[in-house]
Amino acid sequence: MYAVETKKLVKKYKTKTAVKGLDLAINEGEIYALLGVNGAGKTTTIRMLTCLSTPTSGECFVCGKSCAAEASEVKKIAGISPQDTAVAENLTVEENLRLMCGIFGYSKEKTAESIQSMTELFSLGEYEKSRAKTLSGGWKRKLSIAMAMIGEPKVLFLDEPTLGLDVLARRELWKVIEKLKSKITIILTTHYMEEAEQLSDRIGVMISGELKAEGTLSELEAKTGEQGLENVFVKIAENADKGGESND
Amino acid sequence: MTNRTLAFASRNLKEIVRDPLSYVFCLGFPLVMLVVMTLVNDGIPAEANMTIFRIDNLAGGIAVFGLTFVMLFVCLSVSKDRSGAFLLRLYATPMRSGNFIAGYLLPSLMLAFIQIMITFAASLVVSLIKGIELNIGGLLLSAVALLPTVVLFISLGLLFGTLFSEKAAPGLCSVVISFASFLGGIWFDVDNTSGVLKKICGVLPFVHSVKTSRLTAALDFSELPEHLLITSAYAIAATVLAIVVFRSKMKADLG
Repeated sequence: MYAVETKKLVKKYKTKTAVKGLDLAINEGEIYALLGVNGAGKTTTIRMLTCLSTPTSGECFVCGKSCAAEASEVKKIAGISPQDTAVAENLTVEENLRLMCGIFGYSKEKTAESIQSMTELFSLGEYEKSRAKTLSGGWKRKLSIAMAMIGEPKVLFLDEPTLGLDVLARRELWKVIEKLKSKITIILTTHYMEEAEQLSDRIGVMISGELKAEGTLSELEAKTGEQGLENVFVKIAENADKGGESND
Repeated sequence: MTNRTLAFASRNLKEIVRDPLSYVFCLGFPLVMLVVMTLVNDGIPAEANMTIFRIDNLAGGIAVFGLTFVMLFVCLSVSKDRSGAFLLRLYATPMRSGNFIAGYLLPSLMLAFIQIMITFAASLVVSLIKGIELNIGGLLLSAVALLPTVVLFISLGLLFGTLFSEKAAPGLCSVVISFASFLGGIWFDVDNTSGVLKKICGVLPFVHSVKTSRLTAALDFSELPEHLLITSAYAIAATVLAIVVFRSKMKADLG
C-alpha cells in the first residue's frame, strides 16, 4: 500500500484545468518533493489529498483511504501545514498546540504529553508562552508544522514550507523536516530547487498541471543529461514548452 | 457538546478577551452612549414631556444598541478567520460545520450577556444618581428576555462574516447598526410616529427587541408576548439562515 496514491487525478476550475490526469505513487516513509513554478498545480494537488478540494475526476488515496469516500478517515491520518501561516495569532504557542489537541479529542494526559513532545521536537520551549503574532516568520512556520503534527499524522503535507523565509530560517526549518524523516511520510511542495535537492528522497516535477518527470535526483539527471536540479528542471520545462517528453 | 466545539469556542473566547476592540466596541461604547444620552436627557426641559432618554427607557434601548456591536464583533471575527489560512487548516481536521458554528456562538453569547449586565449595572448607578426607580429583578428578567435578540444579532454577525470579506462586512454591519438604533426606537419614540415609518419599524425586529427589554425591566407584561414572539421568530430565521449559509460556504470552500 502506498502512503499517497493518485489515479488520473483532474481538477478543473471554470476556465482553467489546474491538475491534468495526475498519477502519483508515494511510498511510506518517503520525503517526496513536488517541484514546480507558481501555478503548476502543486497546491491544488495537496488540497485534494487533504480533502480541502474535491477532484473533478480521478481518485486519490492516503494510506489506502479514499479522499472522496472516506474523507473523515483521511483527515485523521493526514496533517497539513498550509502555504500561508495558519496559526491563531492571539493565542500563545502552547495554546495553539492545545487547541489542536482539543480538536483531535485528546485527554488531559495525552494533551500534556503531545504538547511537551512537539515543544521539544520543534524547540519551541523558549516561545511557549509567547503569542503567535509576536513570532518571526520562521518560528510561526515551525509552530504551524507542529500543529499539523499534533494529530499524529501518517502523512504530512507541507505546502511551500519555507516560502518567504530568510536563508537562516529556511535552513533551520530544513533541520526540523529532516528530524521528521523516516518517522512519517512527507509530501512537500516547493519551487526552491535546493530545498527539494536537500530534503527529498524523490522529486516530482509538475508543469502546467502535469507531472512531467519523477525520480531521485540522480535518476532525473540521467534522464535529462543535465547536472544539478536547477538545470534538470529547466531542461524538463523547456521540453514541456516544446511539447516533448521530458525523459527523452 | 464535543471536545472540538469546546476547543474552538475556547480559542474564540481568548481571541475576544485579548482583542482591545471587544472592550472598546462591546463594553465601552454602550456605556459612553448611556452617559451621553443621560446628559442629553438632563438638557431636555420637563415641559417637552420627552422621556425616551430617561434611564428607565434608556437602559433597555442601550442594551439592544450594545448588542449590535456584538454583531459587528462576531462578523469581524468570522470574516477575519475566513480570510486567512487558519480555518483552512481546521477544515482539514475532523472538525465539522456544527463545531465551527457552535464554537463561534458560545463565546459570543457570553460576551453579549456580560455586556447586558454591565449596561444594566451602569443604568442602576445612573438611576440612583438621578433618583429614578429601576427594578433589579426587572433588569435581570430583561436580560433573560433579551436572549432571542442576542441570538438574532450573533446570527446576523455570523451570516455577514460568512458572506462578506473582512473589508466589506464591517460596512454592512454599520448599516444594520444604524437601522437597528434608528428604527428600533432607541433614540425616538416609535409610538409617537405614524405612517410608513411606523409600519417599517413594526415590520423589523429591532423595535420589538427594545420594547421587550423595556417592558420586562418595568415588569409590565401586558404586550410582552407579541414583541417576544416577533423577536424570537426573527432570531430563529436568522440562525437557520446563518447555519445554512455557513455550511454552504464551507462546502463551496472545499469544492
